[in-house]
Amino acid sequence: MKKVGMMVLGVFLLFGLAACSSDEKTSGSSEIELTVWNDWTEERPENTVYRDIIANFNKENKDIEVKIESIPHDQYETKLRTQAAGKQLPDMFRVWPGTRITPLVEGDALLSLNPIMDKWKDKIPEGILKDYAVDGEQYAIPANISETSLIFYNKELLAEAGYDTFPTTYEDWKKLIASLTDKDITPIALGNKAIWPLQSVYISMIADRITGSEYLADTLNGKQSFTDERFVKALTVIDELTKLNAFNEDLNTIDEAQARTMFISGNTAMHVAGSWAIGPILNDVEDADNIGLAPFPDFGGEGELGKMTGAAGGGIALNSSLSKEKQEAAFTFLEYFYNDELYQKLMKANIIVPVQVEMDDSVPGILKSANEFAQGGGIAPVYDASLTPELTDVINNGLQSITLGEKTPKELAEEMQKAYEKNK
Amino acid sequence: MHLAKKSKFAIIIGLLPALLLYTIFAIVPILQSFYYSLMEWNGFSEMKFVGLSNFKMLFQDPLFWKSAKNNLFVVIASVLGQIPIALVIALLLNRKLKGAKFFRTIGFLPVVLSTVVISLTWSLIYNTKNGLINELLRTVGLESLTQNWLGDTSWSMIAVCITVIWQFVGLYLIIFLAALQNIPEEVLEAAKIDGASEWVTTWKITIPMIWDTIIVAVILCISGSLRTFDLIYVMTHGGPAHSTEVMALYMFNETFNKLQYGYGSAVSVVIFFFSLLLIFIVTKSMGKKMI
Repeated sequence: MKKVGMMVLGVFLLFGLAACSSDEKTSGSSEIELTVWNDWTEERPENTVYRDIIANFNKENKDIEVKIESIPHDQYETKLRTQAAGKQLPDMFRVWPGTRITPLVEGDALLSLNPIMDKWKDKIPEGILKDYAVDGEQYAIPANISETSLIFYNKELLAEAGYDTFPTTYEDWKKLIASLTDKDITPIALGNKAIWPLQSVYISMIADRITGSEYLADTLNGKQSFTDERFVKALTVIDELTKLNAFNEDLNTIDEAQARTMFISGNTAMHVAGSWAIGPILNDVEDADNIGLAPFPDFGGEGELGKMTGAAGGGIALNSSLSKEKQEAAFTFLEYFYNDELYQKLMKANIIVPVQVEMDDSVPGILKSANEFAQGGGIAPVYDASLTPELTDVINNGLQSITLGEKTPKELAEEMQKAYEKNK
Repeated sequence: MHLAKKSKFAIIIGLLPALLLYTIFAIVPILQSFYYSLMEWNGFSEMKFVGLSNFKMLFQDPLFWKSAKNNLFVVIASVLGQIPIALVIALLLNRKLKGAKFFRTIGFLPVVLSTVVISLTWSLIYNTKNGLINELLRTVGLESLTQNWLGDTSWSMIAVCITVIWQFVGLYLIIFLAALQNIPEEVLEAAKIDGASEWVTTWKITIPMIWDTIIVAVILCISGSLRTFDLIYVMTHGGPAHSTEVMALYMFNETFNKLQYGYGSAVSVVIFFFSLLLIFIVTKSMGKKMI
């Protein structure tokens, strides 16, 4: 017995020594290690692009090692906030623009990138850079533009219901939905278990069409109110769609990816999602030419029809407490990362980017359409990028209640106004 | 044994590491959250002392009461579901049953599985369109009984509770089996000689002899269900429309989604005292000196 124990111990020691010696090889020179947190867990082409570029960077820069730590998207921000509260943020981390970085900035968690901004100033339009700036300080560089409200449709199923082109008015859209349900085809695949899609993807765009783009900012400044009948009308659209049976029955128990799979498998006629769905859909769908892309129809409101809700994305922020040495290394990394190579590769990976990139014929149709939408009438705000976390929570849950018939649009609007006034 | 008498010092040395870890990772955070609960704090900003206003806000929030009610529902369902089922199965398996080992393993399996796996699997089973339950009902022609189990607010809580029960029956099954095997053979034999039927033996001898274990199981069950979080978080996110939100989930959402660390701490303090109270009541009413 004793002998065996000694042998086991010996083996462990051996492995331990081996591990030590191999460690020494890589960390022998004074190498700076930077950890970057992100949500690149899904097997998506753009995630591969990000990873590849970091791998190249590590190869070309012998004295800097960038380590990737990926956390699933749904948990990522929670984890980031928790770590931020405990002052345990990593060196670099992916952040989202607008109000989602302001608390981090106010808590002095982020490092300003102003010293190195010359590289991007003329390349990326100011309107897009602005998304990642707070009070004139730039905190991250956008890698992409995401459009958040695109209607993907299955041309074949639409033709079955008697439509060759996608309806451009709300009334026609409802007619299309009615004729699809008549044919026993689920009109729209929706996965709202995580409760943000109805708000972020649907309401942002519908409300913009009805209220115009100024309304949201005005409301948050106290000049308008959520109980405004235009906003209530926007919420009512969700109520009407639910009552028309526009969504799959299990909308509140499946997540967004599951809904997308439903659409890809060809059982449902439409799926509403942001540009993040373009890649996966093109990858997995059998016949890419059968998929069409349309903007939201005209709801007869005050918004410009060319507008598309969206935001800059893919920014990586730096921890404010980096040492001088690490700071330099991180700047070098950002300059390497946000470069033409990244944008070109992203475009090839079906991502809309903030800089001008030439497009050849190999670019699929729906990506071209998506790009046109972005250039069309400009970017409109996305609700959860502008609302406070608390208001976001109220509207997310409220919209789910509307789909269950437990709350009326008017009640939700009042609840939002109350929550807003409480925290003013 | 005599070592213990000889040197208290050795005992202290032995206990110290565990005690130290426990204090740092359990006691200190609890005290800290008492402190935070009196503050207004979003996790990044300076803390601002606000006295008891967090608690005032909490008791006025109907959502908190809803989550407390849901939590009680989970507690009751667990105590009334897990314990009796586990006890019955344990009594059956304790007899010289063919394949008892096999069933014991099967029964314990859910305890070993990761909660996330359980949650996702049961979500698939409950799915309204192609879930196992609804498919089964449709196949036997009971289409009218099909439900949107997790998506309908009147069913979601029940569906979640069934999963919770299923997950933990195995744990209590093992605890009861161990207790049953400790009952001395002679006692049962004596009962048999006196002509007691199986039924009478079970009620008059077996159950009283493992009563202490049953109380421990009930307390474990209550404290476990008061903390329940992960399973519901993965299965429903507390939805739809807060219908399956329990206190821990409410605390989590308030703290991390709405960035109210002070308020969230107040919620956890209330959960802490609520649990203490409940366990106190139960131990008192079951008439044993457990705590």
